[in-house]
Amino acid sequence: MNPTIDYHAILPELILSGTLVVVLVVDVFLRPPRKWLAMPLSFAGVLAAFVATLTLIGADRTTFGGSYHVDPFAVLFKVFFLSVAMIVLFLSLRYFREGRYYQGEYYFLLLSSVLGCVMMPSSRDLLMLFISLELVSAPAFLIAAFRKNDPRSNEAGLKFFLIGVLSSAVMLYGMSLIYGVTGSTNLYEIGKALAGHLGGQETLALAAILFVVTGFAFKVSAFPFQFWAPDTYEGAPVPVTAFLASASKAAGFTGLLQLMFVAFIHQAAFWGPVFAAFSIFTMSIGNLVALQQRQAVRLLAYSSIAQAGYMLLPFALAGHGVDKEAFAAAVTYILIYAIMNLGAFAVVVAVSRKSSALLIADFAGLMRNAPLLALAMTIFMVSLAGVPPTAGFWGKFFVFRAGIDAGGIGIALAVVMVVNSVISLFYYLAIPRQMILVEGPEEPMRSPALVTFVAALAAAAVIAVFVYPDLIAHFPPLSTLVGS
Amino acid sequence: MTGQEYAFVVLALVGTVGAVRLVTAKNVVHAALYLVVTLAMVGSIYLVLGAEFVGWVQILIYVGAIVILFLFGLMLTKAPIGRESLDNQQRGLALLVALAVLAGLVFLIQDAFHWGDRKMNLVHNTTGEVGRSIFQHYVLPFEAVSFILLAALIGAVVLARREERE
Repeated sequence: MNPTIDYHAILPELILSGTLVVVLVVDVFLRPPRKWLAMPLSFAGVLAAFVATLTLIGADRTTFGGSYHVDPFAVLFKVFFLSVAMIVLFLSLRYFREGRYYQGEYYFLLLSSVLGCVMMPSSRDLLMLFISLELVSAPAFLIAAFRKNDPRSNEAGLKFFLIGVLSSAVMLYGMSLIYGVTGSTNLYEIGKALAGHLGGQETLALAAILFVVTGFAFKVSAFPFQFWAPDTYEGAPVPVTAFLASASKAAGFTGLLQLMFVAFIHQAAFWGPVFAAFSIFTMSIGNLVALQQRQAVRLLAYSSIAQAGYMLLPFALAGHGVDKEAFAAAVTYILIYAIMNLGAFAVVVAVSRKSSALLIADFAGLMRNAPLLALAMTIFMVSLAGVPPTAGFWGKFFVFRAGIDAGGIGIALAVVMVVNSVISLFYYLAIPRQMILVEGPEEPMRSPALVTFVAALAAAAVIAVFVYPDLIAHFPPLSTLVGS
Repeated sequence: MTGQEYAFVVLALVGTVGAVRLVTAKNVVHAALYLVVTLAMVGSIYLVLGAEFVGWVQILIYVGAIVILFLFGLMLTKAPIGRESLDNQQRGLALLVALAVLAGLVFLIQDAFHWGDRKMNLVHNTTGEVGRSIFQHYVLPFEAVSFILLAALIGAVVLARREERE
């Protein structure tokens, strides 16, 4: 009755918590020209947490009475979230220093959100999941509005906040009903309870699952809950958008993966078709609207909605005998998507120094002015479209293969995905077309070294993963979350 | 009906009236005060159900702190608190959505638990139980909540602060 806490298992979380408090305190003593020092400090903390996470590879630990697990699934995502955090820190330094925003507070809020992300994949309890998700979202609402003098940024923060709060309320109501039906908040216990006889409460259980899914659908911007994303992405500071579109979205998906594949797996026959509809509409609407965009960040926002549609597809395959494969495909897709998306945003951050409007037309002539960035951007766009020789191809391939293996509706979904990928080529290639074919003003572009470094690194990773897909594809199947 | 059920009916009715007035009030301060009524009734329902810890926390935190915070927020931000209409043109639609949600939830809960044929076993010593579970199994989310609050506080100060430079 007196559980000891496994401190090694929560070491990354402890280091992050310590770091964000230190950042906040040190910031008070820094003079304005030195405020940027909060970034190296934050980076050191994230790096330490990263190393601490590496020591947990292969671990299978449980603490806090079964509500917190550190297993291969959790460690994989912790490593991923901390890597994303380091990249976003790189992208943020010059942007926030030159914009003279509140830097210490920004890094504090960013790290708080990262802490939520890192707790998410370990949370095997409804309460824990909910709090982690709030810890991801609450600081994100605020940093989305950090460009205080721009009404678009205010709008970004406010829309994100209102939608986020509404979705949390719906989700929380669903969770409370689930607790009412099953008598437990532990995901494994819920799974067991929902597998048994529910005594006339089946309808309520299904409705509760629907509520929880709706809440998460807002977070991952699935149709018809996607309308906040383009405005929020456009108005938020670009490094924040990069964080929202990769880490925050992936955090939503990790929560969803655990809920659907552990707690609600016995109801898959009910929610599978719901996810099939989500997936089809999300990818189609995202792609069709993206075709009409003239602004680079809005284009990437609709692209990220469409990409969420591809990530939702494997959920629709649950209960067709390919659970493990579908699960691994979803995880692989999320990881690959984040790499290429972060890379694309790194280039956007660089271009935003030249033109803050960030129209697609502003990319004209980039091939001559900044060949390295233009080449990297071309690779990311091709990869987002899912065309070889890039990592994006494998992401789509694994999802496609899971769909074919599932048969029936899976084949139909796989076909829809391929059609959508072809449509997406039109708008993804619009940016490379501007950069390479359209003449732009000839002025060599100077981009911050860290941003160029991130773009180059991500581009190299996208190519490397195409050559050795096991760099990423090796890890998701190690997860013990889903039985074969 | 037992005395407990009579008490529930009275509390629920008063709470509902408070909630309806809360959204129809023309003055924000009045709305905040109606919120006190509703939240206090919800807290009392918890007490009637024997969940004394949750009941008192509801009353202390929500009635005592959150509503006061609302009123301070109104005062400090010099928000318009007069008789200006707080409504927009969507009230008909909002009413429709609210009624649909209510009907749906009543149906679901009724379908699962039926009227009155399910007796709950009240857990005694709930305060001790809640305390133990918060500080043993749920100490991590408990700490995480403090980070959420800290982040919200600091972010709100940054966003609400008047810039001196411009």
